[in-house]
Amino acid sequence: MRFLKEHGLPGTLICVEGIDGSGKSTQIGILKDWLKSKNLDVIYTEWNSSDLISQTTKRAKKKNLLSPRTFSLLHAVDFADRLEQVIIPAMKAGFIVLADRYAYTAFARDVARGVDRDWVRNMYGFAIKPDLALYYSISAEISLERICSNRTPGFYEAGMDLKLSNNPYKSYVIFQNRVNNEYEKMVEEYGLVSIDAKQSIHAKQVEMRKLVIDILAKKGITL
Amino acid sequence: MKNKNNEHNGLLIVIEGTDGSGKSTQIELLKQWIEEKSYGAMVSEWKTSRLIANVIDDAKDRNLLNATTFSLLYAADFADRLENTIIPALNAGFVVLMDRYKYTAFARDVVRGLDFEWVEKLYDFAPEPDLVFYLDMPVDVLLKRVIGTTGLDYWESGRDIGLSSDFYKSFTIYQDKCLTEYEQMKKDYNFVSIDGTLGVYEIHKIIVEKVQSLLDEGKLD
Repeated sequence: MRFLKEHGLPGTLICVEGIDGSGKSTQIGILKDWLKSKNLDVIYTEWNSSDLISQTTKRAKKKNLLSPRTFSLLHAVDFADRLEQVIIPAMKAGFIVLADRYAYTAFARDVARGVDRDWVRNMYGFAIKPDLALYYSISAEISLERICSNRTPGFYEAGMDLKLSNNPYKSYVIFQNRVNNEYEKMVEEYGLVSIDAKQSIHAKQVEMRKLVIDILAKKGITL
Repeated sequence: MKNKNNEHNGLLIVIEGTDGSGKSTQIELLKQWIEEKSYGAMVSEWKTSRLIANVIDDAKDRNLLNATTFSLLYAADFADRLENTIIPALNAGFVVLMDRYKYTAFARDVVRGLDFEWVEKLYDFAPEPDLVFYLDMPVDVLLKRVIGTTGLDYWESGRDIGLSSDFYKSFTIYQDKCLTEYEQMKKDYNFVSIDGTLGVYEIHKIIVEKVQSLLDEGKLD
């Protein structure tokens, strides 16, 4: 499986993982601006955003139409499309590719939904291995507090399809705790770098830049 | 890994074969025959889920797909049909007749360069069929049938793989590669292989004999 080997491409792939409210998107956004300010070639790609399928997936999610298996497959379609059309060409051209969520999101969420662990891992076997994968670790309770300052949790986000609880807030906590458990296991399995997401934005950015500087140095890019 | 997934009350019968091999005709005849015997029959065709089928058509029109994405889209379509129509029908005790099944994906994806084991594992949630018929057609006969009916199609000719810029040649090479895959699967998955050049009713007769013995086992009674 390609995913388990070094990618051997000129570019650098950095991804951030973690449940919603962990601040990962903020972190990767600040990182992107900083790298760009250094005149480096950077592209950014996020989960479920391909032209091909993301609208279909969003529509289906709105109608609560998806089984865990179909949910998983649709996200894999999106990922495959972005990987082949966006990520790999940029990696070949030597870009720094910043991914807000990567295959690990599927490994965490789909397995938390009851999809077979090996099945999902096999499906994403075509992915390339990131140079750096950061996991922003935060409890489901704090995540809930943060995201619910401006909205109620979505149906799938709360794992309402699993009928864990009729209360979306309770369901969210149970489901996202499961997701976190899966992430925790991947720290060892895939070498995700676990970061305490309760720290300040500044502290987290300092830590991120340190790690990124090291990775880029290995590629001959000094900052 | 050999999960049979077939703990349901119905029967799952598959007809496989390349385009133009006469699958749809046979399925229609078989459906009538089964209903005549007072059993419930339902047909499910490849690539027809309300969720994704239009996405596939749209992407094909724009020639946008790479092999992996193509494969995953079909798998998503299949999973959606399976969970929303096929499994409920099987649980209700229907005979579900599949116009193409996972074997179609295996053949097409492997010809497009994907790893067989990867695709096989992708579909490991599919229930094991009770019977798989394979309509075996040599490429030259197939070619005549397709040209005489629907005409050569971009994807069925494997033009996306860049085998040849000549449509006729590309179709021949592509279908030939697919046939090789089917040939291998015949043995591995116990297909009932039927000479597709036989007459429509001769083929029908062979099919219903097998289906009759399956019905005689009494699962639906």
